[in-house]
Amino acid sequence: MTSTTAPAREFSLPLRRLLHARESGVFAALVLLFLLGTVLSPSFAQSDNLLSVGQQIAQIGIMAVGATFVILNGEIDLSVGSTYALSAISTGMLISDGWSWPLAMGAGLAVGAMAGLLNGLAVVVLGVPSFIVTLGTLSVFRGVALLISDGAPISLSSSQPGVAEFNLLGQGRLFGLIPMQFVFFVAVAAVGVVLLSRSRFGFNTYAVGGNQEAARLVGVNVKQVKLTAFVLSGFAAGLAGVLGLSFLSYVQGVTGQGLELTVISAVIIGGAALFGGSGTMWGTVIGVAFIGLLQNILNINGISSFWQTVVTGLVIVAAVAADTWQRRRKTRA
Amino acid sequence: MTATSRETAPATASRETAPAVSVRGLSRNFGPVRALDDVSFDVPAGEVTALLGENGAGKSTLLKILAGLQPPSDGGVTVFGEEVASFDPSTMLGRHGVAIVPQELSLLPDRSVAENVLSGVEPGSRWFPSRRRMLERTAELLEALDLRLDPAAPVRSLDLATQQLVVVARSVARGCRVLILDEPTAMLTPAEAERLFALMARLKADGTTMLYVSHRMPEVFRLADRIEVLRDGTHVASWRSDETTPDQAVAAMVGRELGQLTRRAERPARPAGEPALRVRELSGRRHTDVSFDLRPGEILGVAGLPDSGRVEMLHNIFGGERGTGGTVELLGRPYERRDPIASVERRLAFVPGERRAQGLLTTMSVGENVGALMTKPLSRLGLVRRRALDRRAAEQARRLRVKTATMSQPITSLSGGNQQKAVLGRWLAIDPGVLILDEPTRGVDVGAKAEIYEQLFELAEKGLAILCSSSDLPELLTLTDRIAVMSEGRLVGTVEAAEATEESVMALATGAVPAA
Repeated sequence: MTSTTAPAREFSLPLRRLLHARESGVFAALVLLFLLGTVLSPSFAQSDNLLSVGQQIAQIGIMAVGATFVILNGEIDLSVGSTYALSAISTGMLISDGWSWPLAMGAGLAVGAMAGLLNGLAVVVLGVPSFIVTLGTLSVFRGVALLISDGAPISLSSSQPGVAEFNLLGQGRLFGLIPMQFVFFVAVAAVGVVLLSRSRFGFNTYAVGGNQEAARLVGVNVKQVKLTAFVLSGFAAGLAGVLGLSFLSYVQGVTGQGLELTVISAVIIGGAALFGGSGTMWGTVIGVAFIGLLQNILNINGISSFWQTVVTGLVIVAAVAADTWQRRRKTRA
Repeated sequence: MTATSRETAPATASRETAPAVSVRGLSRNFGPVRALDDVSFDVPAGEVTALLGENGAGKSTLLKILAGLQPPSDGGVTVFGEEVASFDPSTMLGRHGVAIVPQELSLLPDRSVAENVLSGVEPGSRWFPSRRRMLERTAELLEALDLRLDPAAPVRSLDLATQQLVVVARSVARGCRVLILDEPTAMLTPAEAERLFALMARLKADGTTMLYVSHRMPEVFRLADRIEVLRDGTHVASWRSDETTPDQAVAAMVGRELGQLTRRAERPARPAGEPALRVRELSGRRHTDVSFDLRPGEILGVAGLPDSGRVEMLHNIFGGERGTGGTVELLGRPYERRDPIASVERRLAFVPGERRAQGLLTTMSVGENVGALMTKPLSRLGLVRRRALDRRAAEQARRLRVKTATMSQPITSLSGGNQQKAVLGRWLAIDPGVLILDEPTRGVDVGAKAEIYEQLFELAEKGLAILCSSSDLPELLTLTDRIAVMSEGRLVGTVEAAEATEESVMALATGAVPAA
């Protein structure tokens, strides 16, 4: 505040910025977790295990990329778990009805995007807080998924033409090694990084999330930005649902319950502020990896899944507490 | 400049002769930044002491320490001779009797005046305070302070100035002996300020010590017995107010003699040509039938009390809020469906008055704030050319002399003046034909103020049409060619700035003279 140097220096490089950014703390925690895993179990750091972690985090990760846009806007999407199920059921039913799998998949993705669009419209047109809107659609979408499937599970039989190919999306491995689902996650995350840090939409997302009124007064189309974020979130949830169906060949109306909480947790652990405006896509990716590794470590060390739930919850609170503490220290002394 | 002898209170001073507040060697660091550096001075009991300094001089930090909102890094404070052991608000108020009236008033808007005034010291049992006795006690207190207020009225129903008086009453109710006022008149009209001054005089007569922060010299010299000046975190001057002059005080604040600001009226350039902005019978929230013309190269001021509707009128022209009638012609073409997106396209710029709430992209960097309107021209296929954006924003910031260490630091880390320059600079990217400003220098220090004026003069000389609303009359007299005065939603007169005085404008604004 006492600086009197007039020259405005160039921006620091993105890489340096990354290291100084808020997610550096989470990244350090991720590295520590990795080391801890290695120490606790010899099988942890083996490529087989790590690739399976990559497989396990893919669906959550894809959804978290979408959710990041919504959260950076200062909004929330609680309906992603239901959208996941709705898209998977839609795709599954269409394939069972004999649709070719690419068409059925396209329809499932469209259903996801539509679900997001509905959320977004209710938020920007009706002005209902997104927490309320998506709390409602969490229930509505789930209900629709149960209605159209009549509550019955859908199993894809591999004897049906095209199903074997469809299953490759979720079960296949690129070069016989890397799980296809992980490849999808990497692709989605890459698009997410570019959209958020390079596109006008990304710039406007930060502007709206940080100060909606100021953004509006510099001519940012606030409604369009929010709507887009909800559509992306719905689309991502739909894609994750379709991959889930492909992986298991099976889906039912109650599939994916509670996924929204894991997804939001990953974004928050990754350093995004719940009230919007700050956070990065890299942070989200790290948050997703953190949750995945944590569960894996607990798993291979034979710790009950009940404990996993407890630990994940504690980690969320600890991550935000650490972040708050760090920021307070930065501003105070 | 004259640094004065600072009498140190003798260690044996009795409570009665000790200064109300004695600040000794106070320092405060924020990371590498030293916001306060070894500051020592006394606030004599029963007097009004003014604390002056530019934004970033350390005033806010000092006040926060005295209010117990943050501890010092080094040094100490004594209050009536007693060392402050713990810097937290309840100790400062409860034990030492030091209360602060902050700029952002912390009242419970939906509770009554009485509940606010007596919150924490309610009569009756702790869990079930007696409502009747609260009203009685509050009425007595307000009476003693000469405040005519209904103790049962909800605070939300009061205007800002009155709410401020409620905060003062609340401090008194809690037995405050030292009252700190942080720029209390920044948001007040002259009449409202007078009510506050009357209350301050009342408190002073009762023996209350006051420490008062303001940028307004006439006020300071009228109210204060002593003047203390901070600059860059250090204490640079201390006078009895009758020993110094406003010029000397300002010089101490900025560290140099500030040349008298050139008045716009003394500049040669004269507006010419067809109006860049033609407003006819414009109506909307709190304004009715406003008509005026603004020519290229002209700076038109808009004066009026805070409730005169002038701010709403600006928002209506820009399209930030919907109007109910009338027409606007912008750069020769009718501008009907107004909204910020269309305004940007049509080169109509708007620097809003509430910088924090409406101007700053609060979570973004200096560069991103300056570059906010360059993203469109600098993108291809929806992707922003970040490097070009960074470079252009840095150039713009340099041109407007935004003082910042890097372009990537948060906008909120800058002082008010530099934030304002960044917001102004942002709009120059669209090559505006008309620039609307509201309170262009609110919360901006003297040095930055002069730079912003200079910038606006230059822009006007290049042919920009500028519409500038302000509650600071000297500012309008300095900055503008003509001043349109609004009162109760109507434009009641337009005066030439060269011939106008604060009194003549205020007379129009308050309706003291009939509309011309």
